[in-house]
Amino acid sequence: MSNLILGVGEFGASKTPGDIVKTFALGSCVAVIFMCPKTRTVGMVHVALPESKINPDKVKTRPGYFADTGIPALLKLMAGMGCDPKGRGFIVKLAGGAKIMDPNNTFNIGKRNALSIKKVLWKYGLGSVAEDLGATHSRTVSVAVSTGEIILSSPGRSDWKL
Amino acid sequence: MKQRATKEEILAAIKKVPLLSPSASRLLELTASSDHKLSEVIDIVRCDAALTARVLKIVNSVAYGLVHEVSTVDRAVGYLGERMIAGIALEDSAAALFHKELKGYNGPKSELWNHDLRTAIASREIAKHAKQPINQDLAFTAGILHAVGKAVLSDFLTQSANEVLAEIDDNEVTDYLAGERNLVGLDHTEAGYELAKSWELPDSLAAAIRYHHNPADTPEEHRLLVYAVHLGCIVAMMCGSQSSDSLQYHLDKNYTQYYDLTSEQLAMVMLEVNEMFDTLQSAMTDTKGK
Repeated sequence: MSNLILGVGEFGASKTPGDIVKTFALGSCVAVIFMCPKTRTVGMVHVALPESKINPDKVKTRPGYFADTGIPALLKLMAGMGCDPKGRGFIVKLAGGAKIMDPNNTFNIGKRNALSIKKVLWKYGLGSVAEDLGATHSRTVSVAVSTGEIILSSPGRSDWKL
Repeated sequence: MKQRATKEEILAAIKKVPLLSPSASRLLELTASSDHKLSEVIDIVRCDAALTARVLKIVNSVAYGLVHEVSTVDRAVGYLGERMIAGIALEDSAAALFHKELKGYNGPKSELWNHDLRTAIASREIAKHAKQPINQDLAFTAGILHAVGKAVLSDFLTQSANEVLAEIDDNEVTDYLAGERNLVGLDHTEAGYELAKSWELPDSLAAAIRYHHNPADTPEEHRLLVYAVHLGCIVAMMCGSQSSDSLQYHLDKNYTQYYDLTSEQLAMVMLEVNEMFDTLQSAMTDTKGK
């Protein structure tokens, strides 16, 4: 059993029972979680920004950074592990996309991240079955590969399931 | 309910916080003035053997990836820039504060430093979008210092995070600052300001510490700087923070009087923060204790 820790803009997947796929302290970033029931593989990408067009160079070194390049990169990785290359049959869940207290939503990158992610998912015919998005708290996400159970935590709050 | 410390007890504790090193104090004073020369920064580093060693280790660290070794202080300072020199001196001088576990905010060790470093980078990047001339290096230094009050207040706020967050969720208080004041009579910006006075920090840096969550209250002469730190702190929280107060503050929409910042530029700032943070943190961590 080991932890697969994903930093900002990183993606990864595991099919080893007992592994935990984890990312820490999502602020406006969003974790896209893919579960492939057929191969019992869990994948996650820590998306920081909605679109790669602001810095195409970054895509070469860290495609997971952006929604439009991170999701295809994760699908490709999971395809190499025996999953469907277009994610058919995947269970998709989303967490993160928090914001600062701002009624005008000026700084709401989290919302833009979530919208961009959904747009990319739709292109693959995918949609999330569960989400914990928005609000004003950071989130740490842990996914148990054996069970697919997703635990969310935030400093000062009780853990909750997605 | 747990018996909390009084404001007087906290103020007494602030007076006991060790002073900054002479090098750190002098660097802060110097870099806050508008008419200093880089050679003066170099002279301060040269006169401090420990600081010299640390600066050289950092500039030659793997994270910076320089082909040729830098062996002189003037080249190292020229390469790193005075903002980094001030940051290194501050971190070395007050490591016990910056890297302590933030028990009162359920934050792990170094959480304060990580947030401060992200804020510093973000504040400097935001300063590039100012409508008036601003010292970008000073915005970086102000970012490093802005939340230092949390290091002091944390010890008096243990096991309070769920209580404060519940008050915010129930609209009993407007933000985390108000929650802090409810519990112990002062908030972390006020505690930080008291520490700034004890450390005799320049007025501009003290203003950034005191008003970074309420920039409109800043004296006019420091408002441009403080709005940069206000936005920088918010960007740092958006980039991720393991502290109970993360994102529990308000954005002051009047920043638009001082800064032009489109949503695309904001995204670019966040990108730069994440990239630079990895580089700086790696350089500063890898060179400790060697």
